[in-house]
Amino acid sequence: MIEVINLKKGFGSVQAVQGVSFTARDGRITGLLGPNGAGKSTTLRIISTVLKPGSGNVKVDGIDVVTDSNSARLGLGVLPHQSGLYPRLTARENIRYYGELNGVSGAALTRRIDELLELLEIGEFADRAAKGFSQGQKIKVALARAMVHSPRNLVLDEPTNGLDVMATRALRALIRKLKDAGHCVLFSSHVMQEVAALCDGIVIIAEGRIVAQGSPDELRRQTGESDLEEAFVKLCGAEGAA
Amino acid sequence: MNGTLRKYFAVFFKEAIDNLRDRRTLLTVLVFGPLFGPLFYTVMMQTVINRQVADLDQSYTVAVRGLDFAPGLMQYLDQHNLKVEAAPLDARDEVKTGKLDVVLVIPPGYASAFAAGQPADVQLLFDKSRESAGKNVDRVRDALEGYSQGVGALRLLARGVDPRAAVPIVVESEDISTPQSRAVLLLGMMPYFLLFAAILGAFYLAIDSTAGERERGSLEPLLTTAVPRSTLVLGKLSAVTLFSAVSLSIDIIALLWCQHLIPAAKVGISVDFTPANAFATLLVCLPFCLFIAGLLSVVASFTKSYKEAQTWLSFIMILPMVPVLGMVMFPMEPAWWMMLLPSMSQDVLVTELIKGEPLKPLFVSLSVLSTLILGGGLSGLAVWLYRREQILG
Repeated sequence: MIEVINLKKGFGSVQAVQGVSFTARDGRITGLLGPNGAGKSTTLRIISTVLKPGSGNVKVDGIDVVTDSNSARLGLGVLPHQSGLYPRLTARENIRYYGELNGVSGAALTRRIDELLELLEIGEFADRAAKGFSQGQKIKVALARAMVHSPRNLVLDEPTNGLDVMATRALRALIRKLKDAGHCVLFSSHVMQEVAALCDGIVIIAEGRIVAQGSPDELRRQTGESDLEEAFVKLCGAEGAA
Repeated sequence: MNGTLRKYFAVFFKEAIDNLRDRRTLLTVLVFGPLFGPLFYTVMMQTVINRQVADLDQSYTVAVRGLDFAPGLMQYLDQHNLKVEAAPLDARDEVKTGKLDVVLVIPPGYASAFAAGQPADVQLLFDKSRESAGKNVDRVRDALEGYSQGVGALRLLARGVDPRAAVPIVVESEDISTPQSRAVLLLGMMPYFLLFAAILGAFYLAIDSTAGERERGSLEPLLTTAVPRSTLVLGKLSAVTLFSAVSLSIDIIALLWCQHLIPAAKVGISVDFTPANAFATLLVCLPFCLFIAGLLSVVASFTKSYKEAQTWLSFIMILPMVPVLGMVMFPMEPAWWMMLLPSMSQDVLVTELIKGEPLKPLFVSLSVLSTLILGGGLSGLAVWLYRREQILG
């Protein structure tokens, strides 16, 4: 479970996040939706411990990400905006490195990697250098890398960016599988349809603030729009959604 | 093995293996950095020494105008390995264009002045700005002076005067340098090559593991893993230090081998850089590897991209060379304060080793300690930089 409590963060004079609060629960898919520059990535980066909050707090399974970053990191699997694989290492080596860094080792690590290679259908290119991977292959390996230490919570920053239709469908199926396994999945997107197709809970963020949150049905009811995209545009303000 | 130590080795081995797969890094660490200096220098010294030695054995043909006026002098020159030939009419131009190194001009009045026991004028035409001609000019001048002194002594004898009366002072020069201490003339560049190899060995890995990591976008996910930042930075720094040390070691081995290719004995210099001295050199220089790894990593953490890091680091590469070049231009006796400056202290100590002189334990400990302390400080600074969120750029 990820709890975000009144989070604020500024860079110089720009206030990127201005008091964001929400909770992403286990066994549910939570979508962070908003136009570009709304503060989605900043929020996710604070949750994933690479940025420090200006004020407010984030708890991962009850662990404070600021005061106990390392314990919080063990409960988190992060897929950042860029996949950030090491081009000269193979898929397997990329995954193994993160396993070792997160304290998995020996036979347990080898077993876990084989499991992930199968789950994400990486087997075929597992021992090729990451340099020539397609966007879809990169995302798969980066996801395996994020999951190698079996974290309960997954934070995915625009995971379907640059994926073709087939790869997107496969990824959605995987995210549902993770949900069914009891994981807490938090992902960001600026594509309404994607969020609508997947999420149990939606948090809509614009200009650093939360403008609405709830299930897709609740959002439709709240705005009086039957189409979620219309609801989104209404909530963000026409300009923000453009 | 405890968890943190295991993570440290994971980082260390990943950086080492990852960069061993990069051809540019590999070539720099194994070939360009360590071998360029010694090979280039050996070839250069071989050429220079062989030319010098060969020239003195060979006879030189000096162009003379008016050689018929001084048959005695011509005979003397011929006996001293200097052949004579008639100079062309445009001798002055030939010297100017560099076709002739030197032309000896004997004026028509020479014979009568010589016969009368008066000072007889001869002229040497040469171009002082042409350095390569200098040696032949000196040979001809030395021969002329020898002839002049010989004839002068004979004239004094003929007048019943002891020729020694014309030599009130005899200067005896004694060179107390040993053939080995003169080796520093030949191998004076060696410390420079060593430090250069150490720096170049660290160069690409230092950039790749900081600025490169950021540019590829791999730094952000790396920072979400449960590794203490200090462990992460120390793992990276250790890999950079190792690469620097490997490059340095190869350079020392190359020098050990190259010294036999320089025909030093021909110029009265004995180069005796023993394996024991080579090992001492390695030990004296190893702390510098840590220092340079820290310095390069700190600078590369500030920069935004691989390119920017490369620009900065090329400049940083020159800085440790400043004391080394300073010592070449303003030679100073080794002093304790020099031991406080990394690169200068290694330069001084390695120079002593080449001369075959024993190292002062105080100097060695000062050098090792000060370099390690500064290297440790830079490593601490790198850890601090990694703890700030600005590291993501």
